[in-house]
Amino acid sequence: MQPLLAIWNSTIFQKWVMAVTGIVLVGFLAGHLSGNLLIFLGPDHMNAYGVELRELLHGSVIWVTRIGLLLAFVLHVRAGIVLAARNRKSTGVSNSKVTNKTSTIASRTMVYSGLLILFYVIYHLAHFTWGLAHTEYYSYVDSLGRHDVYRMVVESFRNPVIVATYSLAMIVTGLHLNHAISSAFQTLGINNRRINGLIRSAGPIVGIALVLGFLSVPLSVVFGLVK
Amino acid sequence: MNLRLHIWRQTGPSDHGMLRAYNVNNVSEHMSFLEMLDVLNEELIEKGEEPVAFDHDCREGICGTCGMVINGRPHGPLSRTTACQLHMRSFKDGDEIYIEPWRATAFPIVRDLVVDRSAFDRVIQRGGFVSVNTGNAQDGNAIPISKIDADVSMDAAACIGCGACVAACPNSSASLFVAAKIGHLVALPQGKAEAATRAMSMVLSMDAEGFGSCTNHYECEAACPKGISADFIAQMNREFMKSVF
Ligand code: HEM
Ligand code: FES
Repeated sequence: MQPLLAIWNSTIFQKWVMAVTGIVLVGFLAGHLSGNLLIFLGPDHMNAYGVELRELLHGSVIWVTRIGLLLAFVLHVRAGIVLAARNRKSTGVSNSKVTNKTSTIASRTMVYSGLLILFYVIYHLAHFTWGLAHTEYYSYVDSLGRHDVYRMVVESFRNPVIVATYSLAMIVTGLHLNHAISSAFQTLGINNRRINGLIRSAGPIVGIALVLGFLSVPLSVVFGLVK
Repeated sequence: MNLRLHIWRQTGPSDHGMLRAYNVNNVSEHMSFLEMLDVLNEELIEKGEEPVAFDHDCREGICGTCGMVINGRPHGPLSRTTACQLHMRSFKDGDEIYIEPWRATAFPIVRDLVVDRSAFDRVIQRGGFVSVNTGNAQDGNAIPISKIDADVSMDAAACIGCGACVAACPNSSASLFVAAKIGHLVALPQGKAEAATRAMSMVLSMDAEGFGSCTNHYECEAACPKGISADFIAQMNREFMKSVF
């Protein structure tokens, strides 16, 4: 048996870490999106959801989720950066002519799209969760005395700079997911000739669907569908 | 046809190396790519210059010795074709052709287009075998093997170990090579006994040799002269995890 540390640091183990945590993060995005879409049901649903999320089982659910997500995120980022640095060292000098046949812009820029997502996530939390950025939108309270999430979102997306940053971040996320979802299946060894075609086409579709879902909120505010 | 070649010249491992341009004239379309280089080398020798060093052996696409990046593609523009089996009819008069070595930290350049691929041998030594008692060969059909398993094993065993997968990979990963060796042996009853130790030690040794990690670009599969499928990499990922637990 090999020492556990050697196994943990091996490229394939770290790829597994990245794939498992990546799938957890994709699952989180899906959950987050379903919450966001409540905005289309009006302020009452949205704000009630905000309270429920924070108070479910005396607030234990949200904390367990937060710690789990933080762990997944840290492990994912660490593995991503370590492997990308390793790959850079492995390649050495590049040829004067390089032609790629099957790799894509998305697949070759995963660590950069990832790092952009990382920066965006920190800013995004500062904005909507911690109330540290754009504090002017954070302090609204609705008629029932709840944190007015609905108004915070709508007012925020009336700010064109916020809409632009958010949209850009979503496009970058779409780029990441365009490669990531199908790639995770290959990494986890979920692969055979009958399902490969499906996995490789469904991955990008799921990624784009998530991103379009997220974009629907600011776009609806911009076009006055949500007021 | 007349061609202008840009060939990577490097006198030794510590030399920096650079592309140098050469003209070769009256190349027949029936020549193989390596024969065209032979013609160039004859001319260089006549002029008292150093011939271009390149690896080759069988020249019939089965040994895996030849290997060079031709216009940015390992083994050149044709799919499922080694450099020795590439013919000049794939080019036309006046073409400029860039010829460079496999690039990877784990494949240090020995000279010109020759790289040291002994990292592959060391990975094989760590598990690319089955342990059997020597002595008389046993009866041919003593171990029944299904046609499906035999075919899968043969698909993987088609790997000639040329290193085109490493050269094609943006990360210089040896995953396709290692996966083919693991996939070839694990499909057969003889290979199952050592499956776990093999997967573990070959993967750790491929890491130790300094190859990159797979990011599922599938460039290796597209460049492989034997058409080895990247499905074997997914299988290696499974076999590795099985060996952990
Ligand atoms: C919303 C957040 C994120 C999600 C949903 C996500 C999802 C994924 C998934 C599913 C994979 C595929 C794993 C595999 O190929 O086996 C992946 C790969 C990767 N992610 Fe993320 N990721 C996120 C954030 C990040 C961040 C912040 C980084 C920062 C460095 C990052 C860097 C990478 C890298 C380098 C890869 C590997 C690409 C490859 O091997 O081809 N990701 N991601
Ligand atoms: S020389 Fe043997 S495969 Fe090309």
